[in-house]
Amino acid sequence: MSIIKTNDVKKWFGDFQALKGISMEVQEGEVLVICGPSGSGKSTFIRCINRLEQHQEGEIIVDGIELTNDLKNIEAIRSEVGMVFQSFNLFPHLTVLQNVTLAPIWVRKKSRSESEEKAMELLTRVGIPEQASKFPGQLSGGQQQRVAIARALAMEPKIMLFDEPTSALDPEMIKEVLDAMKELALSGMTMIVVTHEMGFAKEVADRVMLFDEGLMVEENTPTEFFDNPQNDRTKLFLSQIL
Amino acid sequence: MNLEFKKSIAWMRENLFSSIPSSILTVATSFFVLGFFRGLFGFAMASDKDWLSVLNNMQLYMVQAYPEEDFIRVWISVGLALVFAGMSIGLWKSTEESSLSEVFSKFLRVSLAFLFFTVVAPTFSSVTDNDGIIQTEESFPMETRLQLLIPSAILVVVFFVLKNLKLNYKFNKSDLLCFYLAIPIVLMWIIKLPTIQLDSSNQRIFPDPLMPIADTTKTPWTIIFGLFLAFYFIGSRFKDSKNIKRTMSISWVLLPLFIFSWIFKKPEIDLPTILGQDIPIFIGIFLIGALTITFINNPVVEKYFSIYLGVLIAITGIALFISVPILLKSALLLLVLFTIVIPAVSSSTKGKRNLIIVWGVSLFTLSVLIRGGSSDTQIIVQQQSIFGGFSLTWLLAIFGTYVSFPLGVLLALGRNSKLPIVRLVCTGIIELTRSVPYITWLFFASVTMAVFLPEGVNFELVVRVLMVTAFFSGAYFAENIRGGLQSIPKGQYEAADAIGMSPFQKTSLIVMPQALRAIIPTLVSSAITAFKDSSLVTIIGLIDFLTIGKVIIGTQSIPVNFVGHDRENLLFIAFFYWIFTFTLSRRSMKVEKRLGLGER
Ligand SMILES: Nc1ncnc2c1ncn2[C@@H]1O[C@H](COP(=O)(O)OP(=O)(O)OP(=O)(O)O)[C@@H](O)[C@H]1O
Ligand SMILES: [Mg+2]
Repeated sequence: MSIIKTNDVKKWFGDFQALKGISMEVQEGEVLVICGPSGSGKSTFIRCINRLEQHQEGEIIVDGIELTNDLKNIEAIRSEVGMVFQSFNLFPHLTVLQNVTLAPIWVRKKSRSESEEKAMELLTRVGIPEQASKFPGQLSGGQQQRVAIARALAMEPKIMLFDEPTSALDPEMIKEVLDAMKELALSGMTMIVVTHEMGFAKEVADRVMLFDEGLMVEENTPTEFFDNPQNDRTKLFLSQIL
Repeated sequence: MNLEFKKSIAWMRENLFSSIPSSILTVATSFFVLGFFRGLFGFAMASDKDWLSVLNNMQLYMVQAYPEEDFIRVWISVGLALVFAGMSIGLWKSTEESSLSEVFSKFLRVSLAFLFFTVVAPTFSSVTDNDGIIQTEESFPMETRLQLLIPSAILVVVFFVLKNLKLNYKFNKSDLLCFYLAIPIVLMWIIKLPTIQLDSSNQRIFPDPLMPIADTTKTPWTIIFGLFLAFYFIGSRFKDSKNIKRTMSISWVLLPLFIFSWIFKKPEIDLPTILGQDIPIFIGIFLIGALTITFINNPVVEKYFSIYLGVLIAITGIALFISVPILLKSALLLLVLFTIVIPAVSSSTKGKRNLIIVWGVSLFTLSVLIRGGSSDTQIIVQQQSIFGGFSLTWLLAIFGTYVSFPLGVLLALGRNSKLPIVRLVCTGIIELTRSVPYITWLFFASVTMAVFLPEGVNFELVVRVLMVTAFFSGAYFAENIRGGLQSIPKGQYEAADAIGMSPFQKTSLIVMPQALRAIIPTLVSSAITAFKDSSLVTIIGLIDFLTIGKVIIGTQSIPVNFVGHDRENLLFIAFFYWIFTFTLSRRSMKVEKRLGLGER
């Protein structure tokens, strides 16, 4: 059974239609990469999946729960879906460890000691256990993004959403974040990744999608997508980016 | 020595005389500062200034009409505050150390300042004589200057030498602070001060004889200092305990409330009311809260929780406007606040147990404070309020901040609310309060408020003033906080949403802490303004610190004639205000620095 299923999702910002009917499915453990030109609605789409944006038409079903205005459903889905943002969005007034333990303690209501133990495990997993007592502002961009990944993982989500996790980073830091993501993908996490890192897509993705002007114009396996694109717009996009 | 001298020359060249404009600026500023201090000294030393009008009226300044037989209560209040201070200094004991030579360099600076003042003090000063003509007199003759110059020069030399011995014995900074505080206490037993004495025909004896400080002053201070030290040691024993530190922080907030409502006020307590009214209310409300906490995860309770909360809010709203015991009103309010918080905190059995304890302790504290605060006082004074002088200024400042700050937070959040009616009401309150001058509000409190209150409800003038002050500074706080809220990037809200935090958790754990941190300087300056503005209450007949100096002492003729000596008193008052506001802003700078860590 698919863990995410969307059916003809449409979204307007005022008069502007950002999503013009997106239907897709993601299987459990699958890694899906979404790419496409700027303004094509990639962010809007994945933000609809955890209700940071509200879609107006169509349906989104995550792990068997349909996203409606019902607050209970929204909370349930948000605790199963982790998200990593382009601009990290760590909480600057809390230490790295507090950033990571916040959700387990307050949302999952776990004990502090248990949460801290888990947090240290996660920080070790993304390679920065020694930064636990620092504040986000004292870390490099790459380290911050890895903390953000650990923070999202602390909720023990079934699905992880990444919205251009590396585009705010200096080239030398991109690798460390991508490595953390690869490790996560190998561990069997279901992931939707919006990115322009084509190397990552080729190596890790199970499927690649291309968005353009609010529509999904191509969906394919990575090899097919890069070597044998079907759609003209995919060809154009690939020629611009590669 | 030579090296140090060169260093300071180099420093001066770099910082004060680096260019022609900066040299000019340096010289001009020095002239201005010098002129200012000379003027101040000339004023203070002139023979027509009677500083005894300040010294002799300390009691009036501090507590005004508070009866002498109840003074022990004032001492207990001061003692409690200092015991708390001692305990806190111990708990948060500094880890820094100063060496002996640093200590001497501090003393060197003080003696240098003394030397400087002796040198710049003017020889002549102007004096207004009996006919109102200004004359010049020799107020600081050369001999006196020499007599002072020699010892201060000796002190400078001694401390300079001591400092340069480079003694490297280290002392803990908190220990040193206690040592510095001991100096005035010891001095109290040694020095003699001029005192007013009257002869048989009630005429003042000139020159005023020197007398040791009264036992009724120095004994309590010494005892209090002893307690301070004792609690300093106790505090430093427990400096690793987070729980005690947390308890201490909360106790600091409660201490003034307790002092004002129980110690200073001496409430009249009757047992029947406590047994028949307070205890039943306490038990009833406590049980409601405890049951809610216990069964919050029960599916049925969960389902109807928002309805329950709505009903509770409605009942509380009604209770506020009908005549029920004030304890019931406030306990209901607390219950509402707690009920809003419950879903965000409790879930595990241990969490629930802790929350029930916190709930019980808060409710108990509230009941105790309300009982003291709402009972009649047994202190009898010949005026509207037992608070006068500094105790009134302090009361207004502390309560003003206590009530207006949370009110400001609520108003700011309300103004940003999604519910139009809440937004409208909050915006209305803020704009209405801000657009009318504070003095107008004071008149409203003293003259018109009674019209708006329900039949039979009547508050003391001080309480009414506190109410308008809370709203007035609350409105300003609210606008400051709203500015802080706007400075929080959208990403912070989204990140909090994405990890599944509830709106309440988002506000209290992510948004508010950052917003408040961003506006600490503005908040402190609002608090300082509120502290100083409290002197406006004189206009509706309350006697605050400033009024005592300007009006009361300036026209005092019994038992000693101090008519016309208001200028000395004004200078003293200015100095007194300055000490408090300066300390406050220095503390806030430290807090800012410490919290700034998260910002980097
Ligand atoms: N809050 C908003 N209000 C109005 N329009 C918006 C809003 N958010 C996005 N849009 C518009 O919706 C369209 C899709 O935006 P989206 O952020 O999803 O693009 P994207 O594919 O993520 O682009 P990029 O690669 O630049 O991040 C854009 O044209 C954008 O201007
Ligand atoms: Mg985007």
